[in-house]
Amino acid sequence: MKIVLDDLLLTKDMPTTAGSRMLAGYRSLFDAEVIARLQAAGHTVAGKAAVGEFGFDLLGETSADGALIANGALQNAAAKSVKARKADAAICMDVNGYPRRAAAQSGLISLKPTYGTVSRFGTIPVACSGETVSILAASVADCREVLRAVVGHDDKDGTSLPASDCDRVLQGADTVRKVAVLDVFGGDLSKAEQILTENGVDVCHVDGKIFAAARAAWNILMSAELCNNVSRYDGVKYGYRAQNFTGIDELYTNSRTEAFGDLLKTVILFGSETLSTDNYMKVYDKALRVRRVIKEAFEALFAEYDAVLLPAVSAMTYAPDTVDPFVENGYTAPASITGLPAVVAGGVQVIGNAFSENVLLHIAQLLS
Amino acid sequence: MDREILRHLEMLNQLQLTEEQKEAALAFFAAREQDNALLDTIDTENVERMVHVMPIMTVVREDVVKQTFTREALQQDAPETDEGYWCVPRVVE
Repeated sequence: MKIVLDDLLLTKDMPTTAGSRMLAGYRSLFDAEVIARLQAAGHTVAGKAAVGEFGFDLLGETSADGALIANGALQNAAAKSVKARKADAAICMDVNGYPRRAAAQSGLISLKPTYGTVSRFGTIPVACSGETVSILAASVADCREVLRAVVGHDDKDGTSLPASDCDRVLQGADTVRKVAVLDVFGGDLSKAEQILTENGVDVCHVDGKIFAAARAAWNILMSAELCNNVSRYDGVKYGYRAQNFTGIDELYTNSRTEAFGDLLKTVILFGSETLSTDNYMKVYDKALRVRRVIKEAFEALFAEYDAVLLPAVSAMTYAPDTVDPFVENGYTAPASITGLPAVVAGGVQVIGNAFSENVLLHIAQLLS
Repeated sequence: MDREILRHLEMLNQLQLTEEQKEAALAFFAAREQDNALLDTIDTENVERMVHVMPIMTVVREDVVKQTFTREALQQDAPETDEGYWCVPRVVE
């Protein structure tokens, strides 16, 4: 298969920019681990796709190369490549849900595997505690084939799960008996519900109010982690350096100010504020505790249900500058903050228990 | 959030915002503060923090040299180098 990589994955033979002017022309000394695994399985890298700056926007519109827009709607570069059959699948970093939004709006399949089952070695770190290497493909079969190639333990990734856990991703049962619809997110899921019901799945509605808090908590954790991770970009060791400065402080400040985009600067400041002495306990620490509450709420649901159904997007297109990525991510944040696997198919999202990728792909097959 | 705190955050993060960017940042902060109020409705009194979503086994490994790079390779993306050193403006007067 021909695979396109988003520009948050390090590549030795091509530049890696993370969509930022800060890394324009940057060349890594090594490839991301997933590239070696794809090549070992006989797949080839077809090229790279632009991402929004550090991958946390809607679809890539904050890229230093500018937004992709067609017919007045934002487009995503990786999804466009797969949709146009220039690549069979894409490997994307799901930091804040963009691959899932792109899949929902493009009629593609997106799989965000269980956190820790696909190596993040050689990916540009943004929000390490929740970001996941994910797959975007035109069919469930293609998605499964790419998953088979990339899943597995990696000694080089400190958050990689043991091989025995990674194996569960490929070997788990695919039985689906009961699915819960999370009413708190609204949206018209009737078509998906009908398909599941026709295939013998018991579909029940639950309130799921607690999951609405995932967005606020993930925005805090993601921003704090991003703030720390981009502090390394100082214009000294690598990356953009301003032309005009009189001392070391001006070198740092001018380089970061000139290279970083507007949204990124704002998020850095927000992340920094959440970690300040005044806010650490009441904001950052609170978000970490809410993460556990949400994870436990999912565990309670999965004691009864095989998966949960919710929207992936609020609309099937986004006009530029009309949708706030820090609000729209309310649909993707529950899986991001908990590390649970999620699939998007038929324009809707399904979240499963850890290591239940086979259940999710089975549901995706029904929905697509 | 006010302009004074924003200026302090800019200084801490080595950033300088334009007036327009400051307005946008203040609006962003105001929206997030509203979001954060939702978190206060959740009782976390006896809940432990969850830093890692999956159990981390260990990051300790044998101290064995594996992949290495030459100094020249490590400096290939540096903005300015001189005889193997990274160049910065004078920091000691």
